[in-house]
Parts: sequence; C-alpha cells; structure tokens
Amino acid sequence: MGSFIIRRSFTGILIIFVAIFLNFMLIQLAPGDPISILSGQDSPSPEMEEALREKYGLNDSVGVQFLTYLRTLAGGDLGESILSGRPVSEMIGERIGPTLMLTLTTAILALLIGTLLGIYCARRPGSKLDNLLSGLSYLFDSMPSFWLGMMFILLFASWLGIFPTSGMVDLRANHSGIAYYIDVLHHMFLPATTLTLLSIPYFFRITRSSVIQVMSEDFVTTLRATGMSEGRIFNKYVLKNSILPTITVFGITIAYMITGVAIIEIVFSWPGMGSFMLNAISRRDYPLLMGIYLVLSISVAVTMIVVDVLYAFIDPRIRYSK
Amino acid sequence: MSILEIENLTVTFHTKDKITRAVHNISLSVEEQDSIGIVGESGSGKSTLAMAILQLLPKRIARIEGEVILDGKHLFQCTDEQIRKIRWRDLAVVFQKSMNALSPVHKIGTQMSDIYRIHESKISKKKLKEKIISLLEMVNLPSRVYDLYPHELSGGMMQRVSIALSLMHNPKLLILDEATTALDVVTQGQILSEIKELEKELNLTRIMITHDMSVVASACKKVAVMYAGNILEFGYVKDVLVNPLHPYTQGLLKSIPTFKGEKKNIRGIAGALPDLSVPVQGCIFASRCEFATDICYQVKPTEELLSGNHRVACHLVGGMEHANVNHS
Repeated sequence: MGSFIIRRSFTGILIIFVAIFLNFMLIQLAPGDPISILSGQDSPSPEMEEALREKYGLNDSVGVQFLTYLRTLAGGDLGESILSGRPVSEMIGERIGPTLMLTLTTAILALLIGTLLGIYCARRPGSKLDNLLSGLSYLFDSMPSFWLGMMFILLFASWLGIFPTSGMVDLRANHSGIAYYIDVLHHMFLPATTLTLLSIPYFFRITRSSVIQVMSEDFVTTLRATGMSEGRIFNKYVLKNSILPTITVFGITIAYMITGVAIIEIVFSWPGMGSFMLNAISRRDYPLLMGIYLVLSISVAVTMIVVDVLYAFIDPRIRYSK
Repeated sequence: MSILEIENLTVTFHTKDKITRAVHNISLSVEEQDSIGIVGESGSGKSTLAMAILQLLPKRIARIEGEVILDGKHLFQCTDEQIRKIRWRDLAVVFQKSMNALSPVHKIGTQMSDIYRIHESKISKKKLKEKIISLLEMVNLPSRVYDLYPHELSGGMMQRVSIALSLMHNPKLLILDEATTALDVVTQGQILSEIKELEKELNLTRIMITHDMSVVASACKKVAVMYAGNILEFGYVKDVLVNPLHPYTQGLLKSIPTFKGEKKNIRGIAGALPDLSVPVQGCIFASRCEFATDICYQVKPTEELLSGNHRVACHLVGGMEHANVNHS
C-alpha cells in the first residue's frame, strides 16, 4: 500500500510538470499580444512597446522564457500580473477560497444526495419513485448550467426576492461574526443549488446501476445461500463493491467542477476563480493565466491521487497491478 | 431413511409474455449418505431444480409447486427466518463459478468467518480463526489463504475454498452445482477424490449437478437423467450407465468417447431442446427420439419401476421390443 501511494504520487508530480509545460506552450501559441493591450489601443509608441517587452522578458526566446518561468516558479514566485502589477499568487489567493467553498460544498452535497437516492432506487428498481428520479436525472443532466442559474435568479431573486441576485456578501450591510457567515450562506444558496442539482444525476445514475449490477453478482447468491440476512449482505458486501465507480465519478466531478464552475460564477457574480480566469484569458494576462492554470492542474492532479489511493484502499485488485 | 424428499416439484417462470416450465413434476428421494448425480444438457433444468430446493429463485417471476421435505421440514412452508436457519446448517451448496463466489474486495478469511458466525455467533475470535484455518487445511489449502483476496487464488484453489465454506457446519445435504465443470481434468479429479474422502469422514449426503457423465460415473452412487425439466431415467449408476433404457440416456452415453473397446463414431442427439413455454402433450423427448412412435406424441409416459429401483419414463420400456434395440 505504501509503495502504491509513493508510485502514484510520483506520477502525479510528473503530470504536474507536463501540465506546466503544456500551459506554457499553449499560451505561447495562442494569438494576441499583451503589450498591445498594455500600451493602449490607439497608436502606441514603438519605444514604449519595446520598453514593456524588455521589462517582461518577452524578447527572449521561448526556451529562455520557459527556463526563467521554471526557476521563479521553484522559488514560489508566480510572477506579477501584467495588467495590475500585483503578485499573481496573492491575486489567486484571494479568489481560490470562494471557488473551493462553492465546489466542495456542491460536490459533497451532490455526492451524498445522489448516492443515497441511487441506492434507494436500486433496491426498488422499476418503482414509481425510481422511474420519476431516473427521468429527472436525464432532465437535469441535459440542462445548461447557465440557463438553470438564470432561471433561479429570475424566480427566487427577482420575483420572490428571497435570495440575493449576485455576489458573496452584502457589501452595504458590513456584517461580522455569525451574521457574516449566514450572509455568505444566503448568497451561496442559489449557485450551490444550481451546481448541486446539475451534479446529482451523475452520482445517482452511477450508484444506481452499480448497485443493481453488484446485486446480481454470484457472490450475493452465495451469501444468500449461507443464510446471511439481506441487510448484512447489502451493508457489508454490496455497498463496498458498488461504491467503487462512485469514487471515480467523485474525483472526475471535483476536477470538472474546479475548472468548469466558471460559468456559474459569472452568472451569479461569485468572486471566485472562474470569472477571474475568463478575464485573464480575454486580456492575455500571461503570468496570471499560467498561475491559474498551474493551480488548477495541481488541484486536479491532487484530487486524482487522492481518489486513486482511496480506490486502492477499498479494492485490493488495484493495489497489486503493476 | 430419506433425508430429502422432493414431491411433484414444478417450477414455472412467469415473464411478460410467456410462461416457461423449467422443472416439470419431479419426484426424487435422497437417502442418507447417498450421492446422486443429476445429468442433462444445458437448459434441462438441473440448476433450476437446485435453486428451487435452496429457495434462491427470484420470487417475482418464479412459481414453485409441490413439496420439498428436508429432514422432516417442509421447506416451502417455512418462514424466511426459518429458511435462513436451515441454510448452511442443513443444506449447503457449492456453485459453479467459484471465482466469483466470494466478494472480490473482502479477504477470504473475513468472509468465511462472517459466514461461520451467522449460525455460530458465540465463538471467540481466536477459536474462529483456528476453525477457519482448519477448514482450509482440510481441503489442502495453505493457511495463508486466510489473509488473501479471491483474485489472488487460482480457479482450483477457489473451488477448494468454496468446498471448505460449504462444509463448515457439517451440512446434512450438500449440493454441488457444476462444482468442477470449470476446472481442468487433473484438478477436477483431485477435487472429486477429496470430496469422496471428506464424505466418509463427515457422513455427507450429496447431490451433484453436472453435464459430465464421467463425473457421475466416478463420484456418484445414483444418477437422475434430466431433460427439458423432466427426469427421464433414474437409478444406480451401475444400472443406468451400463444398461441405459431411455433413448435419451443412450444418446448421452453415445456422445462420450471411450478408451476401451472398439472405435465407434461419437454421436450427438439430433435437434435441440424444445421451447419450454409451449406445453407438450406426449413425451417431452419425442421430437428428438429416433424410436418415437405415434403414442409418444400423444400420451405422456408414466414412470416404470424396474428392478433395483431403476425407473424410466418411456413408452418403449416395458414393451420387450426396446430391450433388443438397446444392446445392439
């Protein structure tokens, strides 16, 4: 088990290195020039452009730029934003909190609700509730996230007025202590509900089909033949066998959410990484973009390692495979 | 004294658009320390019969009629709770695909202990482990198997685990459902002789379901030949296999090559199993039988009891004309 974790962590680090390289190259290849934005749209002076290029080292060859990037990165320096001039790590630090809060909350809620509903329906396949939930899962699965978000804003914020339309805190209220957290929860309700509703179907369907499949396996018949009670067969043997795909989906969902939450964040003006990233892209803020990408790749890689280790912990067949 | 009494057992599967009769009006009695082989081609209802005795058929679609009496207990009148108590203590089973017979993500020792404790909850952890290891050793497995997972064992080893598991509470009746079919002949031979050894020690009564005549010949006292849900011939192995009376049994035996004697053509039985959802008026085997006459299509043959508890359900038996055909 120990060697498995070490091996898996090693590949994780390798993946992060590859991600760093790919990020760097992708942005180099993308069209657009930060200097033309920095120096103003209308007839910039060539001297100013040249001075800016020199300042950010954009005159060097790509290889030298990459090495410079790696060297500073090793020292924990993600560079400065071209547009604001502030350290990238500081800017990301301000933004990552809200995103993590939103994604982790929704991922865990969706995991719990989806898995429980999936287990419940798998034990009563073909029942009315099962048919209803299966239908709903397809409905929510095919719904665009921004549309659902906007409908929620329309319904609960504009018409009913029970939830705020945007943001994470009420800036005018100036809350502190418990009131502040309640205010954040109040603001988070709609975006979190939107994301949760859209993520539940994955967990629901994967758990439902997995439980149904495991229930039909031979070992369940063996255990029944031994006189073991249905409850014990299910709780001790079926669950552990059928939870494996759910863990995989949880990892993928987290990775997908961290990167894909952007649209919801924009719809709800959530001060997270998503809108921040889109701004950085549209303005060609290279250091900031690379910083964001790096953080995203590291979070995805770490999530995957955690998922793999967890998986190996539950399923002995994974541990020994070379 | 008979330990298992099956009386007029019929199993039908009710699905959306048809009713399939998988086991039809079977009566069988199993004496203590008997070893009965149930043979027949795939789909003849052998496993359904076993699953009906074990009450493991899906309740939603399976209808069971008749009686199964195990050691004086009418199994079909028992509550679920009573059945759970009978299982494994009185009636144990070894399934065909033993590679999948245990959960792949739990250790073998854990699962065996768990199963042991269903019927014997007041045993200390230390004693339980000793008991499980002694069971493993009884079927010639090393004690380290206790800490292994199913995927770390070979097919033969898993089969031994399944056998050890089934013998854990000294069941009165053991059903082996194609228990050695998936194994190579060498391992199969070893396991069969081990089973026979254990049988002497433990006073087992055994039903073996197989489509392999050689398994029946080497490991059973009695044999029941099943076809399309019916028992066509029943008797001592030495009678049935040496002097088969039913055309189906004769056909089955002709399809096996022999070492001794002159070389003969190996023949199969022409045709395929009938559609069990269509009721048959006469003999179930008539459509494939080369000796079939008009009466075979019209009247269902009754079981003829011959000497030595040899029973045959065939119109040709009883009449003398058939006895000549069969030895030619």
